[in-house]
Amino acid sequence: MFDALSISPRDVRLARQDLAGGVTAWPIWTHLGLLDIRQRYRRSRLGQFWITLSMALFVGGIGVVNASLFRAAAADYIPYLAASYIVWTLMSGLANDAAQVYVQAAPFLRQAAIPRTVFVLRVLARNAVAFAHNVVILPVVFALFGVWPGATALLALPGLALLAAAAFCAVHAVGVLATRFRDLPQIMQNAVQMAFFLTPVMWRPEQLGSNVASALSFNPFAVYLSLVVEPLLGRAPPASSWAAGVAMLLPLAGVAWLLFARFRARIPYWL
Amino acid sequence: MASITLQDVSVEFPIYNAQSRSLRRGLMRKVGGGLDTHDPAVLRVQALRNVNLALRPGDRLALVGHNGAGKSTLLRVLSGAYEPSSGDARIEGKVASLLDITLGMDDELTGRENIALRGAFAGLTRREVAERMDEIADFCELGEFLDLPMRTYSSGMSLRVAFGVSTALSPDILLLDELIAVGDAGFAAKARARIERLMDQASILVLASHSVEILETYCNRAVRMEGGRIVAEGGVREVVG
Repeated sequence: MFDALSISPRDVRLARQDLAGGVTAWPIWTHLGLLDIRQRYRRSRLGQFWITLSMALFVGGIGVVNASLFRAAAADYIPYLAASYIVWTLMSGLANDAAQVYVQAAPFLRQAAIPRTVFVLRVLARNAVAFAHNVVILPVVFALFGVWPGATALLALPGLALLAAAAFCAVHAVGVLATRFRDLPQIMQNAVQMAFFLTPVMWRPEQLGSNVASALSFNPFAVYLSLVVEPLLGRAPPASSWAAGVAMLLPLAGVAWLLFARFRARIPYWL
Repeated sequence: MASITLQDVSVEFPIYNAQSRSLRRGLMRKVGGGLDTHDPAVLRVQALRNVNLALRPGDRLALVGHNGAGKSTLLRVLSGAYEPSSGDARIEGKVASLLDITLGMDDELTGRENIALRGAFAGLTRREVAERMDEIADFCELGEFLDLPMRTYSSGMSLRVAFGVSTALSPDILLLDELIAVGDAGFAAKARARIERLMDQASILVLASHSVEILETYCNRAVRMEGGRIVAEGGVREVVG
């Protein structure tokens, strides 16, 4: 499948340079990330506020239907749904974009020595911008249903930071693999769809039996989701959730580093 | 100081067909019995073979050879885009590779936005882009069109913008695939003067072309490529003529 996973000191040095060069080239990836969003909604009157509007419509529609279907109190269910669906959209967007990260950048990568990390960060920037457009719905929903998370909501920031770190590693790893194996984008799409049903986005962990609920700590989507959503709703995540978030990050970073250091130079050859 | 040193550089492309590129095949093969690095199912194209090349400031290298001889691949190695699959490539200095001048330009963006985007890729800060914007706008002679989306441009107008921004940089090493010609007669002369200035300022120039006349005008060294190898090296007249 691959040449053996042997990484020379030179590979390591170049991979480090790529990471550092990519991060410091922030004018490029913020610019590209913003352009990606602006371009998608170019020539439409509402522009990128379609992101916000679509999210509001979805949360409103599904919220009302599901609240009556699950017989949950709307005042309880809809704020949860709004927060979890917004964070889910961020994670699924990152996962799906990850498979395209280098393929999309092919013309650039074939012509100049641009750090690969620039394009990984572009994907993060693009999804962060979309997230920022969605997250403005939350105060409105919270106000409507009288939810006040208080200062606990600030704990969502370290949660988001962990999520971003995991995404940084995952996009690096998936990007390399998906450039080499062109079935992976399709596989990813299906996996993300499956993950949607296995992650407490439309339902709540409390609705599962306690045995099943503990299985959620093996679902990375569920772990990072809870680290952002729970604080937003005013509940501090338990220490075990933070531990799970960090514990998942470490092997992910390891795998991403190995793949990136070994195959970084090969990426333009595979395009 | 700008310099280029290629030592025994080879570039070998694996051509994965749809089958061998699939994850399923990859996994199956691994399960089937060890890693096979030279799987006969994977076609390999040797685009460059054992190329040695040293360029120092003042060198103006002419690159000649038939189509498919490896000129473009060599230019991509020199730009740093392709890291050699074996051998060593050391490239010191700021490289501008004008292999595809319309690189990364987007039809939905305005001329100005495209210039800013390209500037960012070339490593310019926002301020540097702003400083050069007027000069580029003057050069393009597009007036108010520069604030319209590029999809409203004719192909000649897009090329003017692409050329204007591509040549607004000040690289140490300049890589050109054919001398770019843009625009109608009057503009072409202006464009020629602009690219000549760029070539003069660059410390090292590599120019691939099929035109003997152009190569003799701008170059002081030449290599001829065939089948991914350098087969002749020397003065422009003896190699190209």
